[in-house]
Amino acid sequence: MPAQSNSQSVALQLEKVRDKIPLLYERDDILLTLIQQRGDVEKVSSRNMRLPLQVNPGGKAGSYNADGGDLGRGAGSSYDVAQISPMFFKFAVEITKLVEYATNSREKAIENAAKREVANGMKQFRAFLDKLMQTGGNGVLGTISSIAGSTFTMITPPGAALVYVGQTVQVYDATLTTNRGTANVTAADPISSSQTITVDAVPGGTVANDVIVHDGLSGASPTSLFGIKYHQNSATTGTWLNLNRATYPVQLQTPRVNAGNAALTPGNVRLALNKVRKALGINQVGKLIAYTSVEQEHAWENLGITISQIVKEGAGGRASDLDLLFTGQKTMSGVPIRSSINADQTRVDFLDLSHWGRAVMKDIDYFEVGGQTVFPIYGTSGGLAAAYIFYFDTGFQVFSDSPRSGSFVDALARPSGY
Amino acid sequence: MITVLRETHEAPASVQERLARAGGWNRFGEPNFRVVWGGSRLGWIGGRWTDRAADGNTLRERIELRLEPKYLPFDRWHIERWCPPEMYGTPREWYQRTLEIEDGRNVAALGPYPSRGEYELAFTLQGPRGEFVQLTPTVVEHCARLIEFARGSPRRNARAALYEREARAERAYDAWAFDLLDDTVPALYGVPFVTVPASFALQRPKGHRENTEERRP
Repeated sequence: MPAQSNSQSVALQLEKVRDKIPLLYERDDILLTLIQQRGDVEKVSSRNMRLPLQVNPGGKAGSYNADGGDLGRGAGSSYDVAQISPMFFKFAVEITKLVEYATNSREKAIENAAKREVANGMKQFRAFLDKLMQTGGNGVLGTISSIAGSTFTMITPPGAALVYVGQTVQVYDATLTTNRGTANVTAADPISSSQTITVDAVPGGTVANDVIVHDGLSGASPTSLFGIKYHQNSATTGTWLNLNRATYPVQLQTPRVNAGNAALTPGNVRLALNKVRKALGINQVGKLIAYTSVEQEHAWENLGITISQIVKEGAGGRASDLDLLFTGQKTMSGVPIRSSINADQTRVDFLDLSHWGRAVMKDIDYFEVGGQTVFPIYGTSGGLAAAYIFYFDTGFQVFSDSPRSGSFVDALARPSGY
Repeated sequence: MITVLRETHEAPASVQERLARAGGWNRFGEPNFRVVWGGSRLGWIGGRWTDRAADGNTLRERIELRLEPKYLPFDRWHIERWCPPEMYGTPREWYQRTLEIEDGRNVAALGPYPSRGEYELAFTLQGPRGEFVQLTPTVVEHCARLIEFARGSPRRNARAALYEREARAERAYDAWAFDLLDDTVPALYGVPFVTVPASFALQRPKGHRENTEERRP
């Protein structure tokens, strides 16, 4: 009987934190988990999940001649079916033996190293998935505007906001047909106006207007997580959840306000909200949230209409005594604001999250093979390498059952200083 | 049978006066701040309307300009702030942005250009869980203090405050995550420990002598 290897004992120790994984993941502070809050999580198999939609009302209304007139024939509602299937995402964490040896106690070192990497890994995985939620369902994390050496200057939005240092990315041509190869991000600047990404090696043939997609995608026109720009879309061509947008150009179109590269105004917000009210009923905006970037939240504050934010943030907490009576919640024309550093910097989305949900095949957890969650790394000789690896994985897809229940303002100018 | 379609109220003059004193007056001699009842405050909404029955079925579609309650919820008091007309651009820009074309008809989706400015929602009077808050003198005084405080607060640090908030949230997540995972390991990471109450440690029982001599080099 061979002696128990270190990697096998580490597996047991990692099991201790296993039940904490969903807690680390299901926090309601990012868009993905805001959707989770409504509780509409559908467990699905590998077959497509079907979402029946009433696309057209039925019945024939009209006046008639009661004095023996013909009442005519009737009609029924029209239905169609949207379909989704889950996508699988992984996050690999690898720890070297040096990490373990860097602490005083052997047992404590393994616990601490695992704990730290679990916490950091989950945080990064959540951030990665939240970044995908900002995309249009094709995995595009950014568009290159120019190349200087191994540094890409990115077009804003989204600039360099959707990648992180150390991430492996792929470069595709602008039509998402040709995969030029992979690269590792060595630096990213999503804050300054330059919005640059530096990679270790630029894939051959990379040119301006190429796009960056996340690792794991392949082939032409790849499909990824259906993010906010997939569901909140005013296009009348293409597909939405296997339905042809051209077949239902009105029903599948999310109302849009084009700001024309001008700054955010109360009029933009009013227009976007009114579009929802006209379509769904005058008092149907109560469930909306205004999902936007920190930049546009700042732009809204710059208008000087709201007061509550001054109490919450501007005063550094000194004015908390003024906030006793009211919610202090920052709103955009009465709609609560939820801002994110990952959100499109030129856009405000009004979302009714009660229409959003997730089709889940596998909840987030460790990737497991025969009860083992931590795996040894092998060296080139065939012997063990001084490192071990574990993975988080999940399989799900995001859906909206009513694209008309929201609206959005896009092409907004970024406030000065960004 | 009488059906109340929309409840309307007017705020007392004393309330409006207190808010006006706190917020000042605009170029037209009107107050910068005022309080309105949700059901009484109407605004223009133009375009294609889809009217629905209580069960959600579509009743009719109309293309028209309607005066509808501007803010939700209807049954709350709202504090409004006056916005100057230039905030809405020029009349030409206004109509360019707000004109909607429905069945070949032009409809100004937000009504006519606000040439005297417009009042916009600053905040809604409601409790932490969205409950109704009556417009009492105490509440009005509270609102006035909020407005006066806001006037004295510079907005130049707003960007830094927003990023600081994001960083704070990040730190809070880190602390929470490590605390959560700390639950999975033994207390003090398995290191043996003995607690000695401070009061006990300070007591010097009879016969106890601190071995100071041994400590001398």
